[in-house]
Amino acid sequence: MTTEATTTTPRDADGNTVLARIVTVLRELPDAGLEDAEIGRDTLFHDELELESIDLVTLSGTLREIYGDRVNLALFIADLELDEIIALTVGQLADHVTASLRATAAEG
Amino acid sequence: MAKIRTGDITTHVQQLAAGAVGGAVPEGEPPVVVLVHGLLTDSLASHYFTLGPALSAAGMDTVMYDLRGHGRTDRPATGYRLENFVEDLALLLDGLGEHRPVHLAGNSFGGTVAAGFAAWHPGRTATVTMIEGEPPVAAWAGRIGDGLAHARRELVHEEAIDWIRERHGAHTARLSRAAGRILATTTLAEDVPAGRLIADDLSALRRPLFALFGGDSGLAAQAPELEARLTECRTAVLPGQGHSVLVEQPARIRDLVLDWVREHHARRSRTPAGAVG
Repeated sequence: MTTEATTTTPRDADGNTVLARIVTVLRELPDAGLEDAEIGRDTLFHDELELESIDLVTLSGTLREIYGDRVNLALFIADLELDEIIALTVGQLADHVTASLRATAAEG
Repeated sequence: MAKIRTGDITTHVQQLAAGAVGGAVPEGEPPVVVLVHGLLTDSLASHYFTLGPALSAAGMDTVMYDLRGHGRTDRPATGYRLENFVEDLALLLDGLGEHRPVHLAGNSFGGTVAAGFAAWHPGRTATVTMIEGEPPVAAWAGRIGDGLAHARRELVHEEAIDWIRERHGAHTARLSRAAGRILATTTLAEDVPAGRLIADDLSALRRPLFALFGGDSGLAAQAPELEARLTECRTAVLPGQGHSVLVEQPARIRDLVLDWVREHHARRSRTPAGAVG
């Protein structure tokens, strides 16, 4: 798997589409109370959305339902240090999802 | 999000099958590892982002669930004795159709639940790993009862939460407030120390046990006694670590647990077929 083969960008791997999708998923997250929250690229999961780690588990499951096994939030977060998790932004997650989709598109 | 009926409550469970997140899937039936989290500030998320993916990638079926009162599992007002937690786990395995003996790995109170399960359901238990955990003996019940009573007195006060925020930051303060809510709305603090115990000689623990401790934690002093009392026991003390060693040193805990489960799974797999060849 190399990164130079990303000349074609499938529609669902477009960064803004992914960001918008994640914002929608967050607003609809059960028990999180984010229906009316302002969410953008720079929004912090921990300090601004006040998401508990168990909400990230739910988010991970929802992203897998949408994107399939190409997107694995558990592995992404498992590689982060605790302070990196606390400083995680919505934009960083969107970038990770976009990169994962592009990587698998390049493979095929 | 998977929810399974376990008796009078609904339990939130997350499964990662062997190889679900990549890695090699071994030949034959894979081992199943059940991860059990700790009390109050904990949920299956602690494992979901640490041990879970690594176990799956190493070819192990991995089950993570939220204990009653925690995470996305129901929070009944009463029913928090150790036997309730152990029964929930038995019913969860029934609900999942899991008939293999399971390798249990529990963090803190999750280790106590795992040891209780091994004592009362030995036929369903392959091995037990306790990470900074204690078996359910009388001395444990006394300690945890004191700790929970103290937490319940303190964590309901907003001033205490403010103090925690100043000393330990907003993250710990938020966790403490959530812990206070569990203690204020349930009988957990009275129930946990009043539950079923095992005898001090640990004769009820007949499955192989692996106990991991942080060297700076008060619990590490129990390692020699565990080794002396149990026939199949391994202990490991990680120097410079405290009670939250799983969160601080996930990679080292992961490697130790992986080796332990691999070794015992290989031994179990050999035993029934060994007579043939």
